[in-house]
Amino acid sequence: MAKQFNVRPVRSPNPLPFLSFDVNSAAASTSFSSAPHFPSTAVAGGIGAAGFDDEPPLLEELGINTKQIYQKTLSILNPIRVNHHLHEDADLSGPFLFLIAFGLFQLLAGKLHFGIILGWMTMASMFLYVIFNMLAGRNGNLDMYKCLSLLGYCMLPIVMLSVLSLFVPRGGYVIMALTGVLVIWATRVCTRLVVELANCGDEHARLIEYACFLIYMLFSMLV
Amino acid sequence: MYEEFKSHEIANVLYATGSDILTAYGEKNINISRYMCVNNPRYYFQVNDEYVKNKLKLILFPFLHKGRWMRAMEDDSSSFKSAMHDINAPDLYIPLMAFVTYVLLAAFFLVLCFCRFSPESIGVQFSTGLMCWLMQVLLLEGTLHSLGGGGGSGEIILVPLLDVVSYAGYTFVGAAVVMAVRVSPHPVRWAHLMFCGATLWESFCMGVLLVKIVKRILVFEVPIFDKQMYSTNKRNYVLLFVAAAQFPQLFWLGNVH
Repeated sequence: MAKQFNVRPVRSPNPLPFLSFDVNSAAASTSFSSAPHFPSTAVAGGIGAAGFDDEPPLLEELGINTKQIYQKTLSILNPIRVNHHLHEDADLSGPFLFLIAFGLFQLLAGKLHFGIILGWMTMASMFLYVIFNMLAGRNGNLDMYKCLSLLGYCMLPIVMLSVLSLFVPRGGYVIMALTGVLVIWATRVCTRLVVELANCGDEHARLIEYACFLIYMLFSMLV
Repeated sequence: MYEEFKSHEIANVLYATGSDILTAYGEKNINISRYMCVNNPRYYFQVNDEYVKNKLKLILFPFLHKGRWMRAMEDDSSSFKSAMHDINAPDLYIPLMAFVTYVLLAAFFLVLCFCRFSPESIGVQFSTGLMCWLMQVLLLEGTLHSLGGGGGSGEIILVPLLDVVSYAGYTFVGAAVVMAVRVSPHPVRWAHLMFCGATLWESFCMGVLLVKIVKRILVFEVPIFDKQMYSTNKRNYVLLFVAAAQFPQLFWLGNVH
């Protein structure tokens, strides 16, 4: 006579279901027919505990808010008026996307620059961080995360430059003019954002603008 | 975190060892804090637009400066005024920006003339520039020591290290101007002539600037007790050497290949 074995739906509160394997009930069940059932109930209970319906969506869990990234990107596109409220919430996934896109377009042009982009981005954000906090004195509150986020978002014009350079003859006047325009665009947006988001940026706006100009000029050299 | 902790410990150990060695050699008078800690770098960044503009004019045309070369003191005479109020104060913003500008212009020049840009070349230019900055610092420090140290009991000129670093970095303004001249569109026949002319002019300006600065330091900032330790003749020769050393340095910086 087979033992009646009810599968209890195991709703374990802890996220690692395998740890909630109940050793006592394993010792208690002596019936041979129930032994092969047990691992499957543990596994089924495990998956059931985290249930697909209850899990938050993957992007939300990772903290990637695509709508916000899209809005921030749109706000960069306007070089004249910059909406800085969107950028108060620093975010690294947008910059990551832009840098990967930049690397991909460079790859299309035949240049493998991923590592260089990563290294230069780090050094550039440390440079801007040091310069801004030194200039602003004791009250400067630009932190590294925000600095990297702003620099990364304002890379959008440079990404566009690398796209355009695929179609325009190399070394010509057109690409030089385009480089100038896009670098100046990136610089303006970045300076506006930095000045409005961190305290005490106002009186050093030109100085910070020159620092950002140097940074984006450096990146445009890669193109 | 561990690396940070370890390096802090290593710094402490080195500091202790260094000070032990120096006291063992009887040089108790050397102010170690001048070398070991950089006191208050924020002082060197208190600049504003107007200061930057005027200081650039001063660096590029030092012989046109009608004002005095003295540094102003704070009201309570405890320290010097910051850069915002005094054009003669050293700062670190201009040298840093000039250095980066020089590296970028050198890379740009390589792109334009040889079409041979690689990201490694920026690294090479960066290291060359840093080495040049270091040599300039050593030159200035050597000058100050030889003219101010004198013999035995040694009153040492207490010029903070970052001051000397910033004075040495002003060379890069000249170097950036030279590179800008090389990069600007000009007829090819005159390229070499323009390069030589610009380098000679800038090294002359840098020489004048550094000589004036060092002379000011020696005359006004040295402790007053023993000014006859060195002869004025020797001082002038050393200053001439400093000015002459600017020429090969700027040629080296401008010679990008």
